[in-house]
Amino acid sequence: MAAAGRSQAMHFHARAGEKVRNAVLQRALQKAKPLFVGKRAKGIASLAEDGLDFEMLRSTGKNIRNRNLADLDVWLDIFEERATATGAEVLWARDGAEVSRLVVDIARRHGVSKVVKSKSMLSEEAQLNEALAAAGIRPVETDLGEYIVQLAGETPSHIIAPAVHKTIAEVEALFAKEHGRPPETRTSADIPAMAQEARAVLREHFLSAEMGISGANFLIAETGSAALVTNEGNGRMVTTLPKVHVVITGIEKIVPTLEDFATLMRLLPRSATGQAISNYVSLLTGTKRAGDHDGPEKTVFILVDNGRANLLGSDYQDMLRCIRCGACMNHCPVYFSLGGHAYGWVYPGPMGSVLTPLFTGIENALDLPHASTGCNQCGAVCPVAIPLPTLMHRLREEQNERGLRPLSERLALKAWAWLAGKPVLYRWFARRAARYLNWLADGSGRIRIFGLAPEWTAGRDLPVSSGRTFHELYSARKKP
Amino acid sequence: MRLALYVTCLVDLMRPSVGFAALRLLEATGGEVVVPEGQTCCGQPAWSAGNRRQALDLAKKAIAELEGYDHVVIPSGSCADQIRNVYPQLLADDPHWAPRARALAGRSHELTSFLVDVAKTELVASEFAGSVTYHDSCKGLRGLGIKRQPRELLAKVRGLSLEEMADCEECCGFGGAFSVKFGAVSTQIVDRKCDAIAAVGADAVVGGDLGCLINIEGRLRRRGDETTRVLHIAEVLAGGDDC
Repeated sequence: MAAAGRSQAMHFHARAGEKVRNAVLQRALQKAKPLFVGKRAKGIASLAEDGLDFEMLRSTGKNIRNRNLADLDVWLDIFEERATATGAEVLWARDGAEVSRLVVDIARRHGVSKVVKSKSMLSEEAQLNEALAAAGIRPVETDLGEYIVQLAGETPSHIIAPAVHKTIAEVEALFAKEHGRPPETRTSADIPAMAQEARAVLREHFLSAEMGISGANFLIAETGSAALVTNEGNGRMVTTLPKVHVVITGIEKIVPTLEDFATLMRLLPRSATGQAISNYVSLLTGTKRAGDHDGPEKTVFILVDNGRANLLGSDYQDMLRCIRCGACMNHCPVYFSLGGHAYGWVYPGPMGSVLTPLFTGIENALDLPHASTGCNQCGAVCPVAIPLPTLMHRLREEQNERGLRPLSERLALKAWAWLAGKPVLYRWFARRAARYLNWLADGSGRIRIFGLAPEWTAGRDLPVSSGRTFHELYSARKKP
Repeated sequence: MRLALYVTCLVDLMRPSVGFAALRLLEATGGEVVVPEGQTCCGQPAWSAGNRRQALDLAKKAIAELEGYDHVVIPSGSCADQIRNVYPQLLADDPHWAPRARALAGRSHELTSFLVDVAKTELVASEFAGSVTYHDSCKGLRGLGIKRQPRELLAKVRGLSLEEMADCEECCGFGGAFSVKFGAVSTQIVDRKCDAIAAVGADAVVGGDLGCLINIEGRLRRRGDETTRVLHIAEVLAGGDDC
């Protein structure tokens, strides 16, 4: 799979260790987590004001998305027909490389030298910025978080808060350097001023770019429109100022009607940022019409597969319901111990642990489906009820079926399962094990260094009991 | 009423006192309590690792051993979730085993939910001088919906005051094999749990799953906290000292 090229997902374990030790990153994450969780909780609670219940609403959302996927080809055909009728062009891309090829081609045909971008995770899948730069076209990210990440030469670490891994001090140092001014001491009270500074820089780009690229939160089949959900207003600039607008999005983002879109919009902003509705919701249809003050002269939709169609009808189809709200990672204890970069590819957190192996190859992301405690905090908050732990579990099974687990793990499990099937032998072994643990504890009640589980005792003691098993003590008690 | 106590492999090996405490609590309900002889492990480690074959074999073994009782009681939300939620799903396509798995699932209960929802007997009054905070373990909470049962039981313990910690529903980072595969991440997660425990300042942290408790106790001690007790809810409810 071509997408595996840049993936670092095979190095999850090593990268995770590094992230845990990064004190600056840990500070940034520990600050962000309660904000995300608290805001969503408030947003979900506010559903009651509209007489709505989260469980009921998300079951409706799930059903809408399931219906979209059941007849995906039909809705895509309708979308293409309606969008074309509004004057837009609809192109199809099999993978990320094809996306880049198409975008560069469009840019060249329109003499584009600078592109302003609104947030698009699919453009990350396609490594589009690299492809544009290689073709001599300058891509400028205009979402504030994406702008920071681009200045730093990094990739987004969160699907809706791309720079969540950065502290204010880091951003200030970056801005001072890149904007050519002396650094200052900044606190959270200075965030509006810093945003204003970025806005001034970005304004010049908005006015000079010949092309805008955005993603789409949804594609609406009945109107041939792209729906864009944003908070900063940069999306409006990107999609209306430049003469060419290219929308890049996955084929699974389609919903049949505006009514469906409205229902999903009750779930998306609340799950993402806790807002009842985002600051901007744009429905982008066709091109600039006679009498319009603004809008692109040329609109192109690039609808991308990049591994999605393979999931239809598979054990993983539920994953295609995802509406990219980020709630799963915001509630994931693993994500908030590491940040997104540890996951090694475009999508982090629980949804990434499912999508990365599916899009880049199961054999190229062996750790990710295991990088979960199975706590199901993600599944409990998912606005379209994707059973994320179940999907990770299915990937674990597939690793076993394909012989991809390490030999040591397979042998240990095999020996243990064999023993657990033989109660008499198991009892004997458990008694020996209890004695051994007790001997290691040396009367202290705890083991401080345990060669058989070094990863446990690196950060924790292992409390042990008296050296007798329950069954041993129970048998002794029964005998008079 | 014939009750089977499924002690779990972890309690057997790491903390027998939990098994004896559960035994006393069940005996106090007036039922006849049996500890089925051949029990070893419910197979969750194999299931979690993604080895369906091994998980199936151990599920069938457990079903055969446990299906002859009115109720099976397990002092662990995690193992109870395996029997109640995973077994029926694992054996769904097997015409011989599917009905047996479903029947056992319906009769199997995590300890606190059995005491509150099934036995409904008044707790034999126990005593605990001090404050406790309760950690909701993930499988019990999100898999079985256990939340009010342990709190109702703790409220009946004389001298005990419950002080809820922040984020008591947040995972402790144990996750079975996760804790040894990704030790650094697991430690990072349990450290946040320990912060919450320290902040509430209770005399003891109490939970219903030994895996979580070993993880929490291990980290508390490594951090230098030698005083906060870490107890299984069975130990608190049964009172007295075991083994």
